Amino acid sequence: MLELIDASRQYDVAGRAVRALDGVSERFPAGSITTVVGRSGCGKTTLLRLLAGLTDPSSGEVRRDAARSIGVVFQEARLMPWLDAAANVAFPLKGRLGRAEIAARVDEALTLVGLTDARRALPAQLSGGMAQRVAIARALAQRPDILLLDEPFSALDAFTRRSLQRVLVDIWRRRRSTVVLVTHDVEEAVLLGESVVEMEAGRVVGRVAVDLPFPREATDPAVVDLRRRILARLVGGADPFNPQVCSRRKP
Amino acid sequence: MPARRLLAPTAVFASVALIWWLAGRAGWTNAYLLPAPSTVAAALSDLAASGALLKHTLISLQRVLLGFALSVALALPLAVLLSASRPARVVLDPLLEFVRQVPPLALIPLLILWLGIGEAQKLGIIVLASFFPVFLGFRGGIAGVDPKLIEVGRVAGLTRRDILTRIVLPSALPELVVGLRISLGYSWRALVGAELIASSAGLGYMIIDAENLARTDIVLAGILVIGAIGLLSDLVLRLAVTRAFPWLSADLEAARA
Ligand SMILES: Nc1ncnc2c1ncn2[C@@H]1O[C@H](COP(=O)(O)OP(=O)(O)O)[C@@H](O)[C@H]1O
Ligand SMILES: [Mg+2]
Repeated sequence: MLELIDASRQYDVAGRAVRALDGVSERFPAGSITTVVGRSGCGKTTLLRLLAGLTDPSSGEVRRDAARSIGVVFQEARLMPWLDAAANVAFPLKGRLGRAEIAARVDEALTLVGLTDARRALPAQLSGGMAQRVAIARALAQRPDILLLDEPFSALDAFTRRSLQRVLVDIWRRRRSTVVLVTHDVEEAVLLGESVVEMEAGRVVGRVAVDLPFPREATDPAVVDLRRRILARLVGGADPFNPQVCSRRKP
Repeated sequence: MPARRLLAPTAVFASVALIWWLAGRAGWTNAYLLPAPSTVAAALSDLAASGALLKHTLISLQRVLLGFALSVALALPLAVLLSASRPARVVLDPLLEFVRQVPPLALIPLLILWLGIGEAQKLGIIVLASFFPVFLGFRGGIAGVDPKLIEVGRVAGLTRRDILTRIVLPSALPELVVGLRISLGYSWRALVGAELIASSAGLGYMIIDAENLARTDIVLAGILVIGAIGLLSDLVLRLAVTRAFPWLSADLEAARA
């Protein structure tokens, strides 16, 4: 089980309380893949950090089966600069699995993200997109029960993004892990989520079930239509460049 | 190290020697206060031929390396302890800060009373001079660890100990290396102070002894040898570090600049 119950998170910014997350209740059923979409600053990362146990809620509750393992792909690659790509992927596995098993998983994960040639490269020698793929491989190699991804594909070019989106869906279907993926890209949210959670200003403002089979195509009229509807709701007729959209309005 | 990299420094040293020689020839300098390069070279070759140079160098080298090693052996665990434990910080930080402000040479009388006039006193001065750069460098490196990397360890379920050894300490390495290099340099710089009192050998002793005998050429020869060995030991340390930690080379370049 993975669940937020009336969870809020406040941050103190220069003496002023900022509500990054505001009374969110949301269940992420075991084995489901959920996408969370909303514009920057609306609390997506905060929600993911609560689920990962990296931050405690200021009020409310986070419920997670302690026995279930977690893998996180952060918004930034967060690689250890002193380890090459393969060692970075192996990092969470070290001391837990045998050497042969680790080597096999590292190979598999690097193949999945298309980086077998870069296994000996240091992070400083990788491009931003390559580093992010190593970070994705690191989480995949863990084979976690719960996989949390924070805008994992936003640093990637369109081709690589598309192929890694497919890889993610494949892996989710094979392993039946619980996946929560955060994105600011509505199309990506519709392509990858069994349901799409819509966020605005720290609150969940909608949850849409996407009843389309995988793999989905961006050109599928049903995808296009759903994307347009979610976008319209999130922009809400407001000026998309108006920062007030993300302000702390009380309902 | 490619030979081309040595070209510029060699040219600089050669030019200095040339100007030095010309200044002597032109009579701008007093031959007693600043003997000509040829006089110094002659003194150097005499010292080398008699075996005195090797003897003094080996003794000094041993003192410097031993003192430096002692500093490192003290500084590393202490830096880890003070970074990890608040009570240790509260007690030890003010004391260490105090000692840091006192010039090692001012402590020579105390060191003589406590450690006598033997080898321990000489090592003590070198340790006092070289302890703080490596200690502060390592602590700074530990304090500067990226909290985002620590989070990677936390979600991977690493223990506190694993986070220390697998994330914090490797992160601190670049600053530690800078500290090590400064400390090694300070060890050499402390040599003359260390060999000031009751010594009968070592490059520092050789220089002081030559000064008493008004042999400026030997003083200069000693200075040249200390400087050259200092440069050489820094080079060896840098090469060893680049070998052992290839990912550090970029940081080393930055530290050198
Ligand atoms: N550690 C923090 N300290 C202060 N404010 C924060 C912190 N993390 C997030 N915030 C604030 O909380 C809000 C939501 O941030 P975040 O969850 O990162 O949004 P998103 O991931 O959707 O872009 C923003 O206003 C941000 O400035
Ligand atoms: Mg974010």
